[in-house]
Amino acid sequence: MPGDRTMKSRTAAVVLAFCATLAAGCSGSGGSSGTGGKVVLRYTWWGNPDRAARTEQAVSLFEKKHPGIQVQTSFAGYDAYKQKLATQAAGGDAPDVMQLDYRMIDQYASGGVLLDLGKRTALRTDDIDAGLLATGVVDGKQYAVPQGRGTETVVYDAKQWKAAGVAPPAQGWTWDEWADAMRALTKKSHKPGATDPGQSEDAFEVWLRGRGKALYTKDRRLGFTADDLARWWTFTDGLRRAGAVSPAEQTTQLDGSVENTPLGRGKAVSDFNWDAPSSGYLALVPGGPTLAPMPSGADGTPGQYFKPSMFMGAAADTGHPDQAAQLIDFMLNDPEAAAILGATRGIPVNESIRQDLTPDLKDFDKTVADFQSSLEGSLNAPPQAPPSGDNALQTTFQRDYDQVSFERMSPREAARNYVTEAKAELRS
Amino acid sequence: MTTTDLPAGRARTRTASSKRPKRQREGAAWVFLSPWVLGAAVLTLLPMAVSLYLSFTDYDLFNAPHWVGLRNYTQMFTEDPRYWRSVGTTLTYVVIAVPLQLGLALVVALALKNMKRGKGFYRSAFYAPSLLGASMSVALVWRAIFNDGGTVDHLLGTGGWVNRPGWALLAVALLTVWQFGAPMVIFLAGLQQIPGELYEAAQVDGASRWRQFLSITVPMLSPVIFFNLVLQTIQAFQVFTPAFAVSAGKGGPADSTLFYTLYLYDRGFVASHMGYASAMAWVLLLVIGAVTAVLFRTSRSWVFYASEGDR
Repeated sequence: MPGDRTMKSRTAAVVLAFCATLAAGCSGSGGSSGTGGKVVLRYTWWGNPDRAARTEQAVSLFEKKHPGIQVQTSFAGYDAYKQKLATQAAGGDAPDVMQLDYRMIDQYASGGVLLDLGKRTALRTDDIDAGLLATGVVDGKQYAVPQGRGTETVVYDAKQWKAAGVAPPAQGWTWDEWADAMRALTKKSHKPGATDPGQSEDAFEVWLRGRGKALYTKDRRLGFTADDLARWWTFTDGLRRAGAVSPAEQTTQLDGSVENTPLGRGKAVSDFNWDAPSSGYLALVPGGPTLAPMPSGADGTPGQYFKPSMFMGAAADTGHPDQAAQLIDFMLNDPEAAAILGATRGIPVNESIRQDLTPDLKDFDKTVADFQSSLEGSLNAPPQAPPSGDNALQTTFQRDYDQVSFERMSPREAARNYVTEAKAELRS
Repeated sequence: MTTTDLPAGRARTRTASSKRPKRQREGAAWVFLSPWVLGAAVLTLLPMAVSLYLSFTDYDLFNAPHWVGLRNYTQMFTEDPRYWRSVGTTLTYVVIAVPLQLGLALVVALALKNMKRGKGFYRSAFYAPSLLGASMSVALVWRAIFNDGGTVDHLLGTGGWVNRPGWALLAVALLTVWQFGAPMVIFLAGLQQIPGELYEAAQVDGASRWRQFLSITVPMLSPVIFFNLVLQTIQAFQVFTPAFAVSAGKGGPADSTLFYTLYLYDRGFVASHMGYASAMAWVLLLVIGAVTAVLFRTSRSWVFYASEGDR
């Protein structure tokens, strides 16, 4: 019937018009309208408002020095940022310049999302410590450049520690000495000495490195056995049973925020954490937190290392690789930018900038800087970026330890579970 | 339209011309429907088709999907103990939460039905949690109440429920039970449909209140009970927000609140196994379909429709 055809074509026309409107609306938002022929770079990062204010200031200085480039910035909290970036990257729409975490690099690099920055002459890396720089290398290519440096620490309430009459932690102390201190603190202060470190993959890594092993091998396989993990969990589980570290109900509440740690809630005397985020304890621990080195292996091998706190990378399909490299170079190596940024992303990795900046640091920034310089030269090189599957394993680690601390599995069973799942994750 | 009283020739022209506006009306209908049709096609059917395809692949969001056939499904059923734990958790939850919630909704609806004053107030007051309950904020408040050092801990001294593997699932179930407002309103509407004469006649015959409830209220209300049961069961299978909030997204402690959807989310968005997550989603769809079909099948023997009496 002719009528049907008319109707169909009319419908088709309507649908087409609708799609055209949608398409126009979409392309309109992403267009480069009103930029006056400038190169537009999208730059995204995670962080807090303080970091945002300082970053905006640095970016406008960059725009002033490079009149041909305009930078569109956006930021979010870490979890939201991580999910948004993953979605953008999966859709082939990664921002030109992005802040990356250690655990993102391998996944993004192997997925072809990241640009090889080693070939970009605009980006100078001579002033960056070689070991630290190597953490951004995957398959021999420099996919990301570290921006700041952090390290793990025993953060403690010095007043309570002293009141308990236990010798303060000292450089080179071993895990056994740490355990003795925990038991002594518990006896005197009638509360656990620390958060149960059994749930923390980070703490386990330090312990493991103190025994000359690593989480992952160079070819991205698991660097330890179920026996190693069972030994670690037996060690922490014993302390938990003795009441020397936090009980399961408290340990399971940990969510990465200092407010929910036993130390932050006034229920323990110490905790393990990264140095820069430990500033969060300032508001929670009367008299402020004190930082001490992590325990080392029985023979004095340090497990602690300087870890890049975050990286900068560029999108493989950016239309402006040179300008992207210029922006990264500016954020890392420009002295004026460094003066604005301070230690908001950890202690800068550029050696000369670090030396210039350190005397001017104030408050907790200075505490962190002093702590890091006290460790200078005594630590081993950091491991290379963790393989892709590691992202999920951090949670798996916590979950499997839950089974131990709630006494639903023996350390050995849980360790076997973890190793099985880890091997499956790393293969895929 | 009637054309019988018109001359044959005019009738033909009228019929022919009356077809045109009808086509135009159809066209207009399509224009107005088009946003929905487009939405359904682009936002529902297409993603479903993609998800079905992905369920046969290994897809990490970054590299192209890689066809693995039925591996996701076989892995799920034979090699993944956490999958079965999530199935067990969800079934336990459905079996605890749905009857409790519907029971409470019915009891409150019965109480409100005969209430003379303040009915409107209580109806709103009981309905409010259902409106608020879907939101993240209430689930977070719930977590705070049942947390270590929270209100329940202070009142009962039982410690934090959400931090104990044996209690956390119950805390989530209670959150759902508390949101009984929506089924309650439907029950209330159903109760008001039951003719008062039935009760009067029963009273004349000397039937007790309990007898009246069993012999009049329940059969007369059975279509509404059935409707609520199907709706709440389907919802319970898909529960996500309360579990996510109460367990801080981890399904803990010790996997005790690892709901099916939470594990699906974990596989897809935390572990980047989108293919596996898609396969899980399809199995959930089939299971919900099967459970609903079974409910419909059993309903023949216990749901009574008033119109059946007329036949």
